[in-house]
Amino acid sequence: MAMCAAIRCVSANFSAALPLLTRPAHIRTCQNTLRPNVLRTLYTSSRLSGALKFTDKHEWVRVEGNVGTVGISNFAQEALGDVVYCGLPEVGTKLEQMEEFGALESVKAASELYSPLTGEVTEINTNLADNPGLVNKACYEDGWLIKMTIEKPAELDELMDEASYEKFIKSLDS
Amino acid sequence: MTVARAAVNVVRLGRISYRSALKVQQQHIKQHLDSSSTSPNTLLLCEHEPVYTVGIRRAPYPPEEEQRLKALGADFFRTNRGGLVTFHGPGQLVCYPVLNLACFKKSVRWYVCELERTVIKMCSKFGIEASTSPDTGVWVGDNKICALGIHCGRYITSHGLALNCNTDMSWFDNIVPCGIVGKGVTSLSRELGRDVPTEEAVPKLLEAFTEQFNCTLTYN
Repeated sequence: MAMCAAIRCVSANFSAALPLLTRPAHIRTCQNTLRPNVLRTLYTSSRLSGALKFTDKHEWVRVEGNVGTVGISNFAQEALGDVVYCGLPEVGTKLEQMEEFGALESVKAASELYSPLTGEVTEINTNLADNPGLVNKACYEDGWLIKMTIEKPAELDELMDEASYEKFIKSLDS
Repeated sequence: MTVARAAVNVVRLGRISYRSALKVQQQHIKQHLDSSSTSPNTLLLCEHEPVYTVGIRRAPYPPEEEQRLKALGADFFRTNRGGLVTFHGPGQLVCYPVLNLACFKKSVRWYVCELERTVIKMCSKFGIEASTSPDTGVWVGDNKICALGIHCGRYITSHGLALNCNTDMSWFDNIVPCGIVGKGVTSLSRELGRDVPTEEAVPKLLEAFTEQFNCTLTYN
């Protein structure tokens, strides 16, 4: 039993360590020592509980339990330029999938945002009011836009996983 | 293999109210989004009666500010474009490209840059040296000759640019144009020391647009 407990402790520590490895900064320093496909497995599998799904309008959603966190992809933030203002909905707003829920302003251009899922807005990223540049600097992390409930989980199956999204954006380069 | 250049249809709206021009843009946007019709890209050209407009950043322009500007004899609109406050009026050539960026490049940053380059190219056809700056728009020195503010939804653009030709520049004294303190505004007439009506700017702007966007213009 003591042995089992010891093994459980070890595996708990190991899985606690895994998320650290998935942070992009750490990944870059590992690139010289790990083969790319091993890297990808580590990166993807450790985010199964919070894997990113993407829309064809370059929004992403990360599901954790009953809550979806929504943001825009790296491709999108590059195409926008420096974000100077985030127009986000109020908490409690009900959204349909693909419905416009706000806009980001960059270079005097207001670009619409589209909800990846049907649900209700539970939280908005208030840090963006004073620091809209987070959308550019950390689009998958601190630059998140809204959190919402997931009324129709089946909608997630319609979205692209990371690999499909990578293929999709490559096909856009014309 | 030669790639066909995108076609853009030029529509001259003449002197038209801001509200009406918004309706025309909405109609063209709807045509683009209605996938059952292949909608042409459109370049709307017009002039407005005096109007102040603001973009999605509404906080700096509360109702009191709206009243103040209306009391000066202008109309006032809150829009869904980017950019802060600006003025439109007679003598200013307003251009609203309602384009599907899928026909060009799916990047709003690229599109705005191309619009700026188009106006710079047009200015050089007048012998005026214009430039960009960290503040979006087209400048002659520290004075803005052309304001820019656009909206993009599902890659369909609306709103656009406003080029001062022989505009009554005193309307700009009532605002901090585009929210930029310490800089001024100018016009083609001021830069050339003679009256330059919008009619004179139209062909040069269209020429510059077709060159910069590598497209063909049609006139219906």
